[in-house]
Amino acid sequence: MTPTKQFLCFGIATALLFSCGRSNQPLGTVLRIEAPLGLPAATAPTDNPPTVETVALGRKLFYDKKLSADGTVACASCHSPEAGFADPRRVSAGIGGKLGTRNSPTVLNAAYSPVQFFDGRAKTLEEQAGGPIANPVEMNLPHEACVTKLNADAEYTKLFQAAFGPGVITMTKLERAIASFERTLLSGNSAFDRYFFGGDLTAMSPAAIRGLELFNNTKKGNCAVCHRIGAQNAPFTDGKFHNIGVGFDSDGELTDLGRYAQTKDERDKGAFKTPTLRNIAQTAPYMHDGRQKTLKDVVDFYVGGGTSNPQLDAEIKELKLTGQERADLVAFMESLTGEAPPNSGPPTAGLQTSGLQK
Amino acid sequence: MRQLLVAVFLLSACTSNPEKKLATPSTTEIVYAEVDPTISGIISGTVMFNGKTPPRKKVDMDEDPQCAKLHKQAVYNDSIAANGKGNLANVFVYVKHGLEGKNFRLPADAVTMVQKGCWFEPRIQGIQTGQKFQVINSDPVTHNVHPRPKINREWNQSQESGAVPLIRRFSKPEVMVRVKCNIHGWMKAWVGVVENPYYAVTTADGNFELKNLPPGKYTIEAWQEELGVQEQEVVVPPSGKQTLQFTFKGE
Ligand code: HEC
Ligand code: HEC
Repeated sequence: MTPTKQFLCFGIATALLFSCGRSNQPLGTVLRIEAPLGLPAATAPTDNPPTVETVALGRKLFYDKKLSADGTVACASCHSPEAGFADPRRVSAGIGGKLGTRNSPTVLNAAYSPVQFFDGRAKTLEEQAGGPIANPVEMNLPHEACVTKLNADAEYTKLFQAAFGPGVITMTKLERAIASFERTLLSGNSAFDRYFFGGDLTAMSPAAIRGLELFNNTKKGNCAVCHRIGAQNAPFTDGKFHNIGVGFDSDGELTDLGRYAQTKDERDKGAFKTPTLRNIAQTAPYMHDGRQKTLKDVVDFYVGGGTSNPQLDAEIKELKLTGQERADLVAFMESLTGEAPPNSGPPTAGLQTSGLQK
Repeated sequence: MRQLLVAVFLLSACTSNPEKKLATPSTTEIVYAEVDPTISGIISGTVMFNGKTPPRKKVDMDEDPQCAKLHKQAVYNDSIAANGKGNLANVFVYVKHGLEGKNFRLPADAVTMVQKGCWFEPRIQGIQTGQKFQVINSDPVTHNVHPRPKINREWNQSQESGAVPLIRRFSKPEVMVRVKCNIHGWMKAWVGVVENPYYAVTTADGNFELKNLPPGKYTIEAWQEELGVQEQEVVVPPSGKQTLQFTFKGE
């Protein structure tokens, strides 16, 4: 809740305070989300603890095409469980086949990301969730129209009341429910996790193990400076923005200014959020504009030293790697495919609010 | 009222001319050299290699299996492309001196370098300063175009399969700019950047021809990637035809 809203509530009446302060707050059974092997402990904002009810509701919303103007596009259309919760298309198509400019990233483990989107323009999953619904090239459903549509739906009215108590459906509730569902979309326990954190030395292939060394070695792949591997867990991102030299047109000009659009800081031109590399083998194509088709293309790109430009990150330079070493890096990234989170697929008809089982 | 209107009309008609002149100040106008075809001459010739032709070196593309797969037959790195009779191909020949201060119009067409079969085509070529340099990737792999000039600006651009062609320019004369691919160490090309259109690359028979030259005294330089450079002076009289021979010595 914003400070101004809070002020208003206190200023007007206690009755209003009650409804403002509590009505968007989830009720019901708090859900404990266990982080799989290799991932940090799951966290959630204090005003939106995931509950059995909000998560089930969020799951339904995530797969529901009703959230788009013409009923053709759901969140899952561009974040499909079959494609590692990303989109195999170079750039995503919204309603009427309208194309965006960026490749859809996975929402698996997005809960750990300190900011959302390639340019970090949303801070939280809650803030992010409203964006695509109203975006004209995505779901194109203005927020007012969205809540009107849902309030007219008897089933949603029931589900929202079970999740948030009595009262009308609001965007805040909807965003919270979707965000809570996304907080359950954690994927770990990959071959790498079992090897590195679980001590199972047979979990990774010899090529992948060699690849891991190269990935960490600052004189070889030098990948881990940005795609971090910690002692307790491995997010594979530093949560920061870097210009690695992707996204130039034929004249060598940036086609997307990236983080600069938010900060207007010259140094952020062409800088994008470091994406996680978990489940990367499932989420081709790669980079913010989806220009790289395979993991081999990605490794070749880094070997080449990206594209020179004034904002190129100091860590990006030509790499001296043999063909074998390049293949080993690919094998390593292929070992990062985690387990699909439970209860993450499309909900079956007649969804029960009390249970999460598929 | 009517008179006034006419006057205004006339006034504006009068001022339109001087205004136009102001828009193109004569100080920045480039005067292009016009070559009179009725008196222009030709320098032609042959470049020879005098020595034992080194054994052909096979290119090993195994480092990138996707590249290796593109070739059914062996690829050779002919850094000294001499035939059995000693004629030397792929030598860059150009007018080094004699045209100073002359401006030549830029050809509208771009000079093109293609990455095909994980190989630069052509290996050696020339371009005028300011002319469009187009780089195409027609391979299924990611390439990386990295010119290593000493005088021009250095740049490095990744170009994935199917990407739009790159369009660049070299602003200063430089013979030669070496181009490499950071990803595939065996890929090499050279671009000769000159301020005039009088350049050629010797054919398989070692021949070259510089046509439509204004009469004058010239220094002609021949550049070979391993054997270095040689120059010769030559005078082209009106409608003259001069023949030169360059001989590079090997071991
Ligand atoms: C038309 C395709 C499309 C639809 C529909 C769509 N998204 Fe996205 N999503 C994208 C694209 C493209 C991006 C990256 C945009 C950017 O960074 O500017 C993205 C980014 C995100 C991110 C940020 C991930 C990160 O790592 O930064 C989250 C979370 C997300 N979407 C969730 C959702 C939710 C929830 C919905 C439904 C309410 C949804 N998306 C609907 C295409 C789509
Ligand atoms: C300077 C920080 C940095 C370094 C070093 C770095 N990366 Fe990245 N990586 C990024 C950023 C930022 C992006 C997103 C760029 C974009 O989308 O334009 C990215 C994107 C990627 C992607 C595509 C992810 C996706 O979902 O599309 C892969 C795969 C990847 N990196 C692997 C590697 C490997 C392998 C190395 C080492 C050889 C490496 N990275 C080194 C910052 C870095």
